[in-house]
Amino acid sequence: MKNIALIIFITFFVISCADFLEEDLSTQVTSESGALSDVVGLTSALAGAYHPLTATWGSGLGNASTQAILMGGDDLTTHKASNKADFREFDQFKIATANGRLPFVWNGAYKSIQGSNNIIANYQNAKGDEAAIRQIAGEAYFLRAYNYFWIVRLWGEAPLLLQTQTFTEDVLSVSKSPIVDIYAQIIADMTFAEDLLGNIKPAPGRVCKGTAKAMLAEIYLTMAGWPLNQTSNYALAASKAKELIDNEATYGLGLMDDFAQLWPSATQNFDGNKEEVFALNFWGGDWYNGNAAYGLAARPGEENGWDDYFSEITFFNQFPEGYRKDVTFQTQLSDGTPWQEFMTQRPYYKKLQGPKQDWQNAVSMPLERMAEVYLTYAEAQIMATGNTSDASALEAVNKIVRRAAGLPINTPDISVDWTSATQDEIVQEKAWEFAGEYCRWFDLVRLQKVEEVLATKDPNDLQPLGTVTYFLPLPASETLANPNLAD
Amino acid sequence: MKKNPHFILPVNWRITKLLRTMKLLTFLLFFSLVSVSANVLSQTKISMGLENVTLRQAFDELEKQTGFKFFYLDEQIDGLQLVSLSLNNQTVEEAIFQMFGQDDVKYKIFDNQLIVLSKFENPSEKQGIRISGTITDAVSGEPLIGVNIIFEGTSLGVITDANGKYNIEIPSSSGVLIFSYIGYNTERIDISGQTTVDLQLAPDITSLDEVVVIGYGTVRKSDLTGSISVIKPGDYKEQPVSRIDQILQGRISGVNVTNSSGAPGGNLSIRIRGANSINGNNDPLIVVDGFVGGDLKTINPSDIESMQVLKDASSTAIYGSRGANGVILITTKSGVKGKQHLSFTTRFSTSKVLSTYDLMDAGTFATVNNERTTAMGTSNVYTDAQIAEFKANGGSDWQNEVLRTGTGMEYQLDYSGGNEEVKYFISGNYLNQQGIIINSDYKRYSLRTNLDAKINTKLSANLKVNFARLENNNTNGNGNTSAPLAGAVNWAPTTPVRDASGKLTPRDPTSSIKDNPVELALNDHIIEANSFTANGGFNYDIIKGLNFNIGYGISYGNSQIKDFNANLLSNNPDANRGSIESIFLQNTNTLNYSRLINDIHQITLTGVFEQQLLQTDKFNARAGGLTYPAFGYDNITLAASLSGSAFKEKQSIRSFIGRVNYSLKDRYLLTASIRSDGSSKFRGDNKYSNFPSIGLGWRISEESFMDNVTFLDNLKLRGSWGKTGSQAIPVYGTVTTFYTGSYEAAMSFLNGTTTPGIIVGNPGNDNLKWETTEQFNLGLDIGIIKNMFTLEVDYFSKKTTDLLLNEPLPGYSGGGSIYRNLGQVNNSGFEFSLTARVINTKNLNWNSNLNASFLTNEVKSLGAREQIFIDPDYGAGLTSVPEMILRPGYGLANFWGVNYLGVWHTGEETEAARYGQVPGDSHFEDINNDGVINFDDYMIIGSAIPATLLGWNNNITYKNFTLNIFFQAMTGFDKWNFTYGAAILGSADARQITHSDILNRWSPTNENSNIPHFSSTDYPVIQSSRFLENGSFLRLKNLSLAYNLPRNLINGLNGSVMIGATNLWTLTKYSGTDPEAYSTQGNGDAAQGGDAGAYPNSRTWTFGINLVF
Repeated sequence: MKNIALIIFITFFVISCADFLEEDLSTQVTSESGALSDVVGLTSALAGAYHPLTATWGSGLGNASTQAILMGGDDLTTHKASNKADFREFDQFKIATANGRLPFVWNGAYKSIQGSNNIIANYQNAKGDEAAIRQIAGEAYFLRAYNYFWIVRLWGEAPLLLQTQTFTEDVLSVSKSPIVDIYAQIIADMTFAEDLLGNIKPAPGRVCKGTAKAMLAEIYLTMAGWPLNQTSNYALAASKAKELIDNEATYGLGLMDDFAQLWPSATQNFDGNKEEVFALNFWGGDWYNGNAAYGLAARPGEENGWDDYFSEITFFNQFPEGYRKDVTFQTQLSDGTPWQEFMTQRPYYKKLQGPKQDWQNAVSMPLERMAEVYLTYAEAQIMATGNTSDASALEAVNKIVRRAAGLPINTPDISVDWTSATQDEIVQEKAWEFAGEYCRWFDLVRLQKVEEVLATKDPNDLQPLGTVTYFLPLPASETLANPNLAD
Repeated sequence: MKKNPHFILPVNWRITKLLRTMKLLTFLLFFSLVSVSANVLSQTKISMGLENVTLRQAFDELEKQTGFKFFYLDEQIDGLQLVSLSLNNQTVEEAIFQMFGQDDVKYKIFDNQLIVLSKFENPSEKQGIRISGTITDAVSGEPLIGVNIIFEGTSLGVITDANGKYNIEIPSSSGVLIFSYIGYNTERIDISGQTTVDLQLAPDITSLDEVVVIGYGTVRKSDLTGSISVIKPGDYKEQPVSRIDQILQGRISGVNVTNSSGAPGGNLSIRIRGANSINGNNDPLIVVDGFVGGDLKTINPSDIESMQVLKDASSTAIYGSRGANGVILITTKSGVKGKQHLSFTTRFSTSKVLSTYDLMDAGTFATVNNERTTAMGTSNVYTDAQIAEFKANGGSDWQNEVLRTGTGMEYQLDYSGGNEEVKYFISGNYLNQQGIIINSDYKRYSLRTNLDAKINTKLSANLKVNFARLENNNTNGNGNTSAPLAGAVNWAPTTPVRDASGKLTPRDPTSSIKDNPVELALNDHIIEANSFTANGGFNYDIIKGLNFNIGYGISYGNSQIKDFNANLLSNNPDANRGSIESIFLQNTNTLNYSRLINDIHQITLTGVFEQQLLQTDKFNARAGGLTYPAFGYDNITLAASLSGSAFKEKQSIRSFIGRVNYSLKDRYLLTASIRSDGSSKFRGDNKYSNFPSIGLGWRISEESFMDNVTFLDNLKLRGSWGKTGSQAIPVYGTVTTFYTGSYEAAMSFLNGTTTPGIIVGNPGNDNLKWETTEQFNLGLDIGIIKNMFTLEVDYFSKKTTDLLLNEPLPGYSGGGSIYRNLGQVNNSGFEFSLTARVINTKNLNWNSNLNASFLTNEVKSLGAREQIFIDPDYGAGLTSVPEMILRPGYGLANFWGVNYLGVWHTGEETEAARYGQVPGDSHFEDINNDGVINFDDYMIIGSAIPATLLGWNNNITYKNFTLNIFFQAMTGFDKWNFTYGAAILGSADARQITHSDILNRWSPTNENSNIPHFSSTDYPVIQSSRFLENGSFLRLKNLSLAYNLPRNLINGLNGSVMIGATNLWTLTKYSGTDPEAYSTQGNGDAAQGGDAGAYPNSRTWTFGINLVF
C-alpha cells in the first residue's frame, strides 16, 4: 500500500504543475515580446513589410498577375485560345470578382500597409541609431503611400486603414474612403517619407529620399488627371521631378546610357543600376520568392514559355522602328520562325524574359525607372507652363529619345531630337519606353484615353466584351467578408 | 468475470519462478518493493484473537501486525474452512501451525519478510482423478490453444496447450467441467467417471458474453448501450493484411476507409460516421492499450488482439475533447499462460497498376497534332517524314517508363507464453514494399514486447513497448500536377526519354511544360520516422470490486526528412533536410468500482484523472542551386542559397472523467459519463469544457414475455445521446504572433540574397473554444435461430456546432485567416450489419457479413458567411479559381466549376455565335445569360462525399481450405479527373493532346461526340463538369485461399499457406486509373476528390506461409 501511495503522490504532485495548462509562448515573436523595440527588430519588420510585394505566388507584384490587371492598356494582351481565361477577362473588360489574378496586387499592398502601420506605430519608441530608425520609418511611410497609390489607381475608393497592425473586429465593417481622402493620405505619407529617408538607398531593393521625390512627382501628375483633375498639381509634379533630375549625385539616381543595359541578359546583369528608382529585388532561391512576372511568363509556348502576356498587334506595329524596339521585343524563334507564325501570332516582350528559361528569377523588377521621372517632368512642365517648347522639358524627353535610337544620351542629335512636345506626344513616348511596364494603363486612365486607344485595336486582337471601366472590381474575398464594401 | 484458473505447481518451482519474476519486475519497472521490516521471523511476536474468519482475513491481519508479506495462491485457500486464531505473544510459525496444522502446509521465508506458503506439496497423494483430452474448433477442426477448463464450484483449472491438449486433476470423480474460450460457446460437461473428455467448441458468432474494451474499462458486450464494433484477428486472418487500414476497410458499418493514395505506406482517410469539421482534423482518435493518440502506421497488425470502433456519443464521450470523430481502440496481444508459442509468417507479393490511360502512340499523336495546328491556323509541328518514322519506330511510352511491377515481402515472428506470474508477448516484423511507380518504396521495422506480471494477489503490472521505424520514399503525399503520373500523360510520345548519352531529356519541346516524369519519379522525398512507445502501469485491487489503475505512457517520435529535386528544367537542383522530434507523455489514473447488489443490480463506477503533454521540435534546412547535386540531401552546404528554420511547440490536456454503468436484471442498461477537459490551447473560461453522455439499453429478449419467442436469441434496443469535442486548432490559435519563416516574411533587398523578416501572422482569437458535436443514436441488435443470423441496425444524427472554422479574412485587413467558432455541420445516417452462418456443417462452413452505411452530410451554417471558398489547388497551373466551395445546404466537399453541356451541335450556329463560337466548340451553361462564359458562371457541380458504403465479407471453409471473398463498394460521389483533363485539352500542362479519346472528337459526321473539335474559337475549361465523373465503384477487395497444413506435420509443427489477390476486380464508370485514390493537396475534408496524377491503388497478388512451433 505504501508503494501505491508513493506512486499516487508522484502522479498528482510531481507532474501536476500549476501552469500545466498554460500556453508556452516562449519561442514566439509577439507584440508583447517587444519585437519592434530596437533597430534590429524594426529592420526585420521592414523586411516583413516589403515581403508581401514579392511573395511570388502569394501576393504582390512578382507574377504575371501584375501584367494581367493592366491588360486594359494597348501594350498587353494574352493567349486567345488557351488556359488564360483569367488574363483575358482583364483584356476584355469582363472581370469576375472571383478572378484568381485579381487579388495579388490588392493583397500584397494591404499586407505591406499592415507591416508599415506596425513600424509607424512603434518606431518612435524604438531604441538605437537615430539615422537608421529615421530611414526605416521613412521606408514605412513610403511603402504605405506607395501601396495606397496602386490601390487608388486600380480600384478608386477603398478602405483607408492606418491601424491594421492589430486586428480588430470592426475592421470587417469599414466602408470605402473617397478617392480624394486616399490621395491626401498618400501625399502626407510620401512627404513624411521624403523628409525621413536618407539620400542614398541602403540596398538596391530599398528606397531613398530620391525615390520619394520621384513618387511624389508621379502622384502629383496622376492627381492632375482623372478622376481628381487637380491640374494645379502639374507644377508640383514638375518641381519634385526636377529636384531629383538635378541632383543625380546626391541621390545616386540617373539615366543609364544604353537602353539594353536596363535588362539582364544571359551574360550580363545590370541589376541595381542607377536608373532603378524603385525596384523590387528577389531571392530566387526558392519557389516562393522569385520574380515570376519575368521569365517564362513572357516567353512563347514554343520555347516552353507560358504565353501569359505579349504585345497587341497595333501597339507593336505602331512602335517606332529602331534600337529600343529591337531590345523590347522578341519577334522570332531561334529557328527563325517570325512572330506572325507563332502559335499566338504576337511578338513577345524580350526585355522581360529574364536571363534564362526559368520563372524563378532573382532579377530586379523596376517599378519606377529614372526615365519615367524625366518624362513625368517633361509632361508636367509643359502642362504647368503651357509651353510646348520648354527647353528643360524637351531636353528631358530628348535624352529618352536619343537613348531609344541607340545614340549618346546627352548629345543633341537633330535626327531624333524633338523641338516641341505636347502632352499626348510625351505620353505616347512613355508608352514605347515603358511598354509592358506598369505605366501605360495608368496614363490612359488619367487622361481618359482608354476608349480612344481601344478603337485602334487590330480586329484579330481580343475585343472588349463588357462596358469599359477604369476601375477594377473588388476581389470577391473582400465583399464577401465585408458587405459594406459592395457597391 | 470468471475467476482465472491457476496451475498447481511444486513449491520449489514456484518460489524460484516467483523470485525470478520479482527480479524481472524490479528491473523492468524501476520499481522496488520497499523493505518494511528486517525482523527475523522468530523475533516477531504476535498477539491476536480471531474467531471463524477466512484464511484470507487471517493472513491480512497477520500482515498488518507483522509487516510480513504472505504469498499464496488463491485456490489454495479458497473453499477451506474458517479458522480461529488465538495468539499471545507467539511467533508467525505458531500462527501458521494454528491455521493449517503441522503437516498440511509448507512455507519458506525470503529476505526476512516474504512468507511463501504451499499447501499441497504433492497433490497426487490427495484423493481425486486425472482427466485429459483435446479441444478443437468445431468448424475448422484445429486445436484450440488456451481454452479455459474449470472444475465447477472450485477454482481448479487449467488451459489447453499448443496442441489443444489439457490435463487436469480434480478432487472428485463426479462433477462438471466448464470449457470456455473467448469467441466460442462455453460448454459444460458432466464427467461422471470419464477420464478422457475430447470436445469441439463451436464459435460463438454473437459473443454476447464477450468482453468488449471500452474507454477506461471493459464491459460485457451484452451490457453495451453504445454503438461499438469489434474486429478480431479471426475476422481477417485468412487475408494478406500488412496494414491496419486493410483490416478496417469495408468491415464495419459507418466507417469509411479510403486509400487516397495507393502508394505502399501511403495516405489514407478514415472517417467514422462522416466528417464533422471543416478545418479540423476528422481522423478518429486512436487509443492503443489505453495510450491516447497513437498512430495506426506504427502498429504492426499482427500484434493486434482486438480492435474496437466507438461510434456513438455514449461510447466516445469518455474521450471528451477528442472523441468527436469516433475512437478506434486497439488492444495488443498478451502472452497466454501455458506453453510457449512461436509463430513465423512470411509473405511475398507482386503488384501491378489497375489500368492505364489510353494514350496515343507517337505516330498517331504526331498526325493528330498536325491536324490540330492546321485547324488552329498555325504551322505543323511534324513533317510527314517524321510521322512516318514515328509510325515505323514508335516513340516513348511514358506510363510504362514510370510504372513497374511492385514487389513486397514481409516477415513476422512472434513468441509468447507465460505462467501464473508473468506473461510475455514478443513480436518482430519487417515489411518491405516497392510501389508500382519507380523509386517509390516503403519499409517498416517493428518490434514489440508486452509484459504482464502479477506481483501479488492484489497488485499486477504491465509494460508494453513498441518500436517502429517507417521508411517512406516517394510514398507520402498523393500527387499533383507535378506528379510522375501526371507528367506521364502530359509528355509527348514523340519526345525521347533520354538522349543518346543516357541523360534524361530535361524538357518536352512539344507538349508538357513540366519536368520529365522519370526525373520526377527519381527525385527523392524520404521520411524516416522512428517511433518508440512505452506504456504500462500498475493495477491494484484495493478491496473486492474496487480497483485502482495507474498508467504511464511515453511516446518518442523522430522523423528525418530528406528531399532532393534534380530540377533539370531550371538547372537548379535543390535539397531539403528536416527533422521533427516529438515527445508525448501521458498519465492516467483510474479508479473502478464494480459490484453486484442483491443479484440484480450490477453497478460499475469509474473515475479517471488524466494528463497529457506533447512537445514538438522541428528544424529544417533547405538548399537551392546545389554545387554537387550528387551529394543530394546529405551535403547541402555547397549551394547557391541556403535557408533554415526551427520551431517548437507544446500542448497539454488535463482531464477528469466519471462514468457509471448500471444494469438491472441484466436487461435494463444505463451508461452515463462525463468528462471535463482542459487544454492549453484555450484561454480563460474556455480552457475547460464538459462532455456528458448517457446511453440506455433494453434487452427485450430477456423479458419473460419473450420466453415463448424461441427463435429470437437476442433482441436489444439501444439509445444514446452525448457531446464530444474537437480542439482541432493548432497551438497559438488564441494569440497573434509574428511569422518569421523565409516563406512568410523574408525579403530580398539585393537580388539573390535574403534578409530575414517578421510579419504579422494570423490574428489570434482569445474567445476560441471547443468545437462540439452532439450525437443521438438509436440502435437495435437482433439475433435469431441460435444466433445464426445477427443484425445490428443503427440510426445516428450528429450536429457539430461552434465549428472551429478558419475563416479567411479580407486582404485589406492584412489577410490570412482567423479561427472562429462558427457555423454548423450535420451528419446523419443509417447503418446495418448483418452476420450470418449461412452454412454450418462439419466440413463446410460459410460465414458472411454484409454491412451498409448511408450518410447524409450537410453544412447548415457558416456563421454570417454565405459561402467560403476552399482552394486545395489540385489543378495547380491548370486552374486559378478555388476548386471547392462551402455553402449552407450542401455537403462538406463541393466541386466548383462551369457546367459543360457538351459541344454546340450543327443547327445551333446562331446560339454559338453569341459566344463567338461554332458547332463543335465547348458549350457551357451561361448562368447569368450575359453572353460570356466566365467566373460568374461557376456553380456547384458535384460532391466528393460518398453517400453509401457497402462491405460484404465471406469466409467459406471446407475441411482444411478457407476461401475469403470480400467486396467493397462506395457510391454516390464525384471525382474530378484533372489527369484526363490535362491529357485531352492540350491547352494546360500538356500543350498538345495525348489521349486517344480525341480520335472520336466532334465533326459534322460525328455529331454524337461530346469531345470538342479543334478550333481557335473553342474555350477549354478544365474546371468544368466535363471532367467531373461519377466515382462510384464496386471492388473485389480481397480474394484469398488458405490451406491449413495437416496437424503436427513435422514434430509439433503446424501452419498454413495462403494465396490471395487484392483489388482483383473493380466495377466503375470512372475513367481514371483508380476511383479510390485522389490527390491530397489541401487540408481538411472540404478539399478532396480531385485526381491529378494521384498514386493509384494496385492489384496485388500475395503468397504467404505461416508456421507455428
